[in-house]
This record gives sequence, structure tokens and C-alpha cells, in this order.
Amino acid sequence: MRGLFYQLKSVWKDKFCIMSFLLPIVAAVVLRMIGGIDLSSVTEFHFGVLENDLSARTVSWLERYGSVTPYETPEELAAAVNEPSTYMIGVRADGENIRTVVSGDELEIFRQTADTLPALYEGRESAKQFKVTVLGRPDLMDGFQNIFIAITLIVAMFMGCTFNAMNMIAEKENGVELVNQILPMTQGGYVMQKIFVGFIGGCLSAALTACCYFRLSVRRAFLMMTLIVLSAFVAALVGLFVGKFSESLMVGVVYIKIIMIVFMAVPLVSYLAGAGGLAAVICYLVPSCAAFEGIMSLAACGEMVIAKDLAILVAHGVGWFALYLSISKWRRSLSGRAGNRR
Amino acid sequence: MIYSLLKKDFQMLISGKFFLVALGSLVLYTLFIHFGYIHYMHAELYHVYLYDPQGTQGETSDLACPVASQEELDAALSGDTNGVGIDASSGVPEIFFYFGSEKTDNHRADYALSLLQWQKDYKAQVVGSNTPELKQRKEMCCELLFIEIIAVGFLGIASVLFKEKQMGVIRVHAVLPCPKSLFIVSKILLFLLSDLVFAALMVVLNIGFPDAVVILPAVLTQTAILSLIMSLTGFGCTMMLKDFRQFSLAYLVIAIFVAAPVFLSANTSVKMAWINWHPFYHVYMGLKNACFGTPAANPVYYICSVCGIAALFLIVRAAFHREMKKEG
Repeated sequence: MRGLFYQLKSVWKDKFCIMSFLLPIVAAVVLRMIGGIDLSSVTEFHFGVLENDLSARTVSWLERYGSVTPYETPEELAAAVNEPSTYMIGVRADGENIRTVVSGDELEIFRQTADTLPALYEGRESAKQFKVTVLGRPDLMDGFQNIFIAITLIVAMFMGCTFNAMNMIAEKENGVELVNQILPMTQGGYVMQKIFVGFIGGCLSAALTACCYFRLSVRRAFLMMTLIVLSAFVAALVGLFVGKFSESLMVGVVYIKIIMIVFMAVPLVSYLAGAGGLAAVICYLVPSCAAFEGIMSLAACGEMVIAKDLAILVAHGVGWFALYLSISKWRRSLSGRAGNRR
Repeated sequence: MIYSLLKKDFQMLISGKFFLVALGSLVLYTLFIHFGYIHYMHAELYHVYLYDPQGTQGETSDLACPVASQEELDAALSGDTNGVGIDASSGVPEIFFYFGSEKTDNHRADYALSLLQWQKDYKAQVVGSNTPELKQRKEMCCELLFIEIIAVGFLGIASVLFKEKQMGVIRVHAVLPCPKSLFIVSKILLFLLSDLVFAALMVVLNIGFPDAVVILPAVLTQTAILSLIMSLTGFGCTMMLKDFRQFSLAYLVIAIFVAAPVFLSANTSVKMAWINWHPFYHVYMGLKNACFGTPAANPVYYICSVCGIAALFLIVRAAFHREMKKEG
């Protein structure tokens, strides 16, 4: 118990660890305060028109499909259409009809929309006569809004690896590791203490981050906590590996950065690309994928299906722990043999 | 003297594997653009599924996919929730689709109905010079170049400087009979050259030589501005922070709070009201405009950039002098 106290004291003194701990919590508070970023404009079409060119009725008709921005001159309109960050479609009057202008480098969806827009304009009166039934589905953008907090939580959960990795590397650099070797402490006890440091750090940071952002029902909160505990345990194991294999602080920082980038990018790309089949299975090799999926499922208002995600995280925990033990055993046997030879 | 300093810094960068990391990043980014990104980014307009067993709608567009039964129509919509279904079994078309967003749904309904009539072969007027593939190449090239300079360059200067701090180079430099600013200038110059070479290779390899030649001068100008800002910031942070661990945290904060909102505002139609106050937004847009051959930003941007770099240099020089005094 005293050993655990010293470990926590050492982490508490490390500004890097404290800031890593606070960063996701601050991000969750900021996200909560600004109520997420308005992404509704991403799904809309954007039309550029010339002032005093189209009639007010035509502009209102265009506004049914998306936002309309007026420009003073044709050059300004062409520049706006060519602007690479948007997919603006220029619309100009063409007698009784309209004609469209595109930059030529847009995605197929916007080019097709521009190609078919005059036909839609011609048939605008007849289109009103038909019955349209919209089937229920939660707002697509809700899912995208949740991405920000899901990624923040992933950072909080898996930042746990920073605490024990930094702690182990600092011990190596300060020579404490050599002192540890002559202390009456078993290898198991040492590993448990190091896992505990990462686990507690990750758990606390992720739990506070979740509390700052979510207002969940008791059942969802319990499942979220289970998800956090399992992820923080896996993160602590990852930290153990980083601490063991990093020779210096700089190498350790680089490892942690690569791990965090992979842990954030893989679930994000997998979610946005809708990976399925073999690709999804490969993605699950990164533990944050299951955690991300679980958070998104809990954050959404619909049915929760996170049993699979929890099972994957348990498998990761067992697998990584077994791998660490077998590597440690193998290294010990190697150094034992080398000692005998000497 | 400057030659000796440059030579020493060059050797430090080689031994710190900085060039190796930059080369590795270049290969990785190039492979990603050539074999990943441009093949992945595709989005087509919604599919329209038509159930018309009696053929009441006459000649319809080829873009409407016929289905044989109501069940098949339901299954198609369940599998493709962005799609639109038209049930014309009663003779009068009825439109079905899953909710997307209000404005998109208006377009989906009208677009689906328009496919029930014969359509003229209309093509929108094209006013740009890029193809979709070239745009994707330029876009990703610009983003990766920005990331590389704010990440690898920033971390690179820190790793070299912290090593020198540990080795006592700053203490030695304090007693050398040479202008103190040369120490800063040689480092900044080397990182600037390295970033310029990286940018040139990145643009040529990923955009193609003929298109790259036209935009290269503008891209290199913007790269130089970004490189100077980042290496001076990196230098300043290294002087002010105690060790690489603290620096690494500063980097994390910069990476998250600088890159995330800038990328969101500059690459999508999401425009946050305060983004114009974010200095890196203007630098990124300068780089992006250069990659796309758009006329350069207004002179105020260049004046602010030069003033910003000069101010950073003065801050860094003051921090360096303070550090030399501290080192004795």
C-alpha cells in the first residue's frame, strides 16, 4: 500500500501527467459550454447567386435546398465557386429558367446536383402535387456531434498510459530502477503498482470528463463506467509496454504520441468510412475502436448494443496482460542464461 | 562563424535522426495520397428506387433503379438510408425516404420526382481549372504539409535544443566571441531550408511536376512564413520550459487547439465566428490558396506575418540571453 502511495505521489508531482489528466476534462467542459459546434451546414447545399439576377421567388426556392449567398459581380461569384473549402454551386438566370456554374473539381454529388438543378426548377410546380412520406430516423448530425466528445473520452481513457509510462521512464532516468532491483519487491508487485497508477489516472480522468459532458440514465452511466474501467485497464497495460521498451524520455514521448494518434485515428476513420467485414475486424485490433463504438452507442438516444465492445475490451485486457507477462518471463530467462554463461 | 554553427547544427540534426523522420514522413504521406486518399474520397448523389409494376410512369431517367416488389423497395431503402423510394404501384407516385435534414430532404424529394420525366442532357458550366483528383491531391498535400511543419519541425527544434542544453552548448556559446543572435539564426535558417526542401518535394511528388512548377513559388513563400513562426515558437518554448516533457505538453496543446479549429473552418463549410482572430487560420489559408493557385492574400496578411516573425525573434532572443545568464 505504501508503494502505491509513493507511485501516486510521484505522478502527482509530474506536471506533464497532471496536465494530461486535466486536458480532456477541460475539453469536455468547453464542448458542454459551447453546446457542440454547428455542423448542420455540412449536409446542406451552398448556392452562390448574383445580386439582382434571380427573382426573389427563385431565391426562396433555392433556400429550400440550402444556403444562398449573393455576390456583386460575376468575378466574385466565380471566385466563390472556385474556393476550395466549399462546394458552392453558382446559379444564374437564363431567361425563364436557371443555369448553374461549378468549379469542375467538386465531388460527384455536387456536380450531379448542379447538372440536375435546372430540371428541378422547371418541374417545381408539379413537384408540389405529390405525396412525400419521411420515415423516422434520428438526426444524422447528432452522431457527428457525439464524435467530438467520444474522441475526447478516448483521449482521457487512453491517456492513462502516460501516467505509468512516464513514471517508469523517469525511474529509469533517475536510476530508481536500479534501486528497485535490490529492494525486497517481487516483479508481480512492481507490475501491479505500475498498472494501478495508469489505471487510476485513466479512470478518474475519463469519469470526470464523462460527468462534465453527459447526463446519462443510471443504466447508461453504469455501462459507461464499465467501458471506462476496461479501457483504462487496457491503457495502463499499454503504458506498461511503453515504459518497458522506452530507453529515454524522448523515445517514450514519441511512442505515446504514435499510440494516441493511432488510437484516435483508427476508430474515427472506421466510423466515418463505415468499415465492415475484414476491415472492421482489423480495426478491432486497436482497443480504442471498441471503446469508441461503445461511447457512440451510449451517447446516441437509440438502442444500446455494447456487449460486443465490452467483450472485445476484456479480450484486449487479457491478451495484452498475458503478452506482457510472457515477454517479461522470456527476458528474465534470457538474462538468467547470460548470467550463467558469465 | 555562421558556417561553423550551421555545420554543427546540421550534424546535430543528422545524429538526432531529424532528416530520417522527415524522409519517413514524406514517404508515408506520398503513399497515403497516391494509394489511399484519392481512391477513398467519392460521394455520389442519392440513389432513387422506383417500384412501378404497371409501368405507369412511361419513360423515366436511367438514374432511377427499378425494383420488382414493395418488399424489395423497403429492403433497398433500409440498406441505403440516403436513398429515395418511389412507389408508383397505384399510378400516382409516392415518395418515401428516411429523414436526413430538412433542406436535404426537400432536394431528395424533388430530385427523385424529376427522374420520372425525361431529362435534357444538361451540364453545368465549369469555371475552374482543377479536376476532382487534382483538387484532392492539392488539398491533402496542403494539410499534410501544414501538419508536418507544425509537428515535426516544432518537435525537431526542441529535441535538438534540449540536447544542446544538456550538453552545455548554451553555456559555451555565452563565452564565445561572436554575436549571440547567430546561434538562433543558424538554427532557424537550417529548419527553414529543411522545411522548404520538404515542401518542394511534397508538392512535386504529390501534385505532379507540371502543376507543381506553377504554384511552387507561392507555396514556398507560405511554407517559409509558417516554418519561421513554428521554429521560433519552438525555440522560445524550449528556452522557457524546463525539459522536453513540459515542451511535449505545450506541443499537445498547440496541436489540439491550433490544428483542430483551423482544419474544421478551412476545409468545410463550418465557419466559426471567432476563427478570423486565429492567426494560424490565415497562415493555413495562405498555404491553401498557394496550393490552389488562388491570388495571394492581401498585403495586411504579409505585413502582420513579418511583424509577427520579428516580434517572435525579439522574444526568442531575450529568452536566449536570459538562458545564457542563467547558465552562467
